[in-house]
Amino acid sequence: MELQLPGIGEWVAAFLTLCAFSFLYKDNILYRFAESVFVGVSFGYYIGLAKINTLEPNLFRPLFGNFGEQWSLIVPFLLGVILYLRYIPKLAWVSNWSLAVYIGYYIGVNLLQRLQGEILPQAKGTMLPLNVGLWPTLCNLVVIIGVVTVLIYFFFSSPHKGVLKPTARIGIYFLMISFGASFGYTVMGRVSLLIGRLTFLVNDWARPLVHGAFGG
Amino acid sequence: MKRQVPIMLAITASFLPVIAFFFPNAWINEWFNRKLDEWMVIIASFAFLLGIVSMVQVNLHKVRRRQKGWIFSVIILVSFAIMASCGLFGAQGERENGTLYPFTWIFQFIYAPMQATMFSLLAFYVASASYRAFRVKNMEASLLLIGALIIMFGRIPFGALIHPVVPDLAEWIMRFPNAAAQRGIIIGAALGAASMSIRVMVGIERPYLGKS
Amino acid sequence: MNWAHKLLLIDRRIIFVVVFVGALIPIIWPIGLAVQISPPVKAVFDRVEAMKPGDAIMLSFDYGPSDGPELDPMANSILRHCAKKGIKVIGVSLFPLGGVEMAIARFMQLDTDLKARNGIDYVNLGYKDGAPAPMKAMGDRIESVFPCDANGVPYSEIPVLEGIRSYDDLELAISLATSIIGEWWINLVNAQFGIDVALGTTAVSAPKYYAFMEAKQAIGVLGGMKGGSEYEELVARAYPDLKGLSRSATMGMDVQSVVHLVIIFFILFGNVMFIVTKRMTRGAN
Repeated sequence: MELQLPGIGEWVAAFLTLCAFSFLYKDNILYRFAESVFVGVSFGYYIGLAKINTLEPNLFRPLFGNFGEQWSLIVPFLLGVILYLRYIPKLAWVSNWSLAVYIGYYIGVNLLQRLQGEILPQAKGTMLPLNVGLWPTLCNLVVIIGVVTVLIYFFFSSPHKGVLKPTARIGIYFLMISFGASFGYTVMGRVSLLIGRLTFLVNDWARPLVHGAFGG
Repeated sequence: MKRQVPIMLAITASFLPVIAFFFPNAWINEWFNRKLDEWMVIIASFAFLLGIVSMVQVNLHKVRRRQKGWIFSVIILVSFAIMASCGLFGAQGERENGTLYPFTWIFQFIYAPMQATMFSLLAFYVASASYRAFRVKNMEASLLLIGALIIMFGRIPFGALIHPVVPDLAEWIMRFPNAAAQRGIIIGAALGAASMSIRVMVGIERPYLGKS
Repeated sequence: MNWAHKLLLIDRRIIFVVVFVGALIPIIWPIGLAVQISPPVKAVFDRVEAMKPGDAIMLSFDYGPSDGPELDPMANSILRHCAKKGIKVIGVSLFPLGGVEMAIARFMQLDTDLKARNGIDYVNLGYKDGAPAPMKAMGDRIESVFPCDANGVPYSEIPVLEGIRSYDDLELAISLATSIIGEWWINLVNAQFGIDVALGTTAVSAPKYYAFMEAKQAIGVLGGMKGGSEYEELVARAYPDLKGLSRSATMGMDVQSVVHLVIIFFILFGNVMFIVTKRMTRGAN
């Protein structure tokens, strides 16, 4: 496979990657430089992202290009702009209007998501048959017991006494197994990110450089 | 005006998607709910940009007062200005000649490696915490460890080399005990979130009024 | 302080070096361990495999660069799979911290790998803010929130979108997701519009999605780098001519094996040292 010498982009990326890794030794000026660049670029990125992907195609172009049909876009435009009145102390209260619409809408949508998209199907998924052969029945029983006991553990309206105490205890055991699984997956997730960076440094930057310098 | 208007607006905006859900073909859905979906994309865009004003204010203040580390605030503001200009006056993606627009170039070679490396540092801290803090002191911690070990062995190719049943056991844990516990968490959290939504919808909670 | 206690308090940078070396060696000299296929990944592959040429799917890039090593391989193999099958791909992004750029990079990779044509075989519609709002709007009319693609070409002028109005015209929606956006594809898009949803998630989120999958709210789950490597393997088995293309997740699983063993060693060794320390302290007292 022919290896191309790293370009300026790869050099910049490799430098910033190494600056960030230097934090593992201790906090230092190179890390803080890279961190500051990252913070600034992140905020700048969002401005470009919003303008190119949302505000231009969904607001400015239709509103100013076809006002006759799209005049109603003035409403979200105004609601968006008055959000910024919170920086003018005397008019800050007006920004609550658009905040109210924004929060209100998402609250309404969220209610449906939770009820229709989570509580009902998840409860339905727990209503499992118990006469489907020994092994499947056992598996179904594990699910039913797990869901009920975990819910009892999270039921804080009455103290965990009497029959609730051992039941909640079983719930904790289920949670611990699940958290263990989550830990295992978290390790994989974090290592994956490290693999990504090391693969870049080795395969996209160092290896072509070594091949370029020494041949082979 | 200061209290009643936002309360009325919030109640109306929250009930519209719910009413439209129960009456999918009604005029309210056609005229208002679908419009609201399209509008909300735009309002969300303005809302996300709010934080930038605060960031610029804080860093400008730091530079003006020459506070400790002000030079890093200068770096933040300069890199912010460069990236924002590339976004405001340019485009994203690839030009016809195959080169990248500056906005995408900076993303690919500055933003992406930095974000990825920052998160990749966690791999080292997970290893360190595993050694220093993962202690089997009681029954709960033992179950946590057993669950973790089975999943860790079961999810790497090496696990199948130990015994072919290891990946199957990991899958069984994921599908049954893990799914059951996660389902309990999902239902519990959803019940809480739904009741919170109802409190906002009827005006008992008013997060949009802030401290005023 | 006894020797076991001292060992427990070693400088964390020594642990860092061990992890670093453990990760670096298999990258320089890959081992090539075999990948085991799990049912949740096979279910997604089979669903795509069962589609006919000309069918369309939506692929949502709901992740940023920090999750690229986990989710990019999934995107690459799903795109290759669809390209080989002649399935139209409609790319969108609802994740603000880089989703659209991840999509741009993956489609560019697809162009390089398989000479796929933008606008004819696939389209990247770009990013929109406020995820649940565009998700809802697309149930009625995709064009209402995505009036043009990421390059500014109007929706009506893009050939691949001909005849595609809403979720009703799609066979499947796949979200490659970090954070909560994957859940919204299930509890909003699948729940309200009935379209089948599959998830490619970061490893950290994978355990939660098993609950959704077992409740039949998602047809399958690709969890983390392991899920990506399985999909790569399935595509390579079904289409041997793609074997030569990069398979970063499969290669990454070698590294995962080594680093997992290192971390398992640290957990067990840490606990042994902890017990030894306790016994020695008790003995001394």
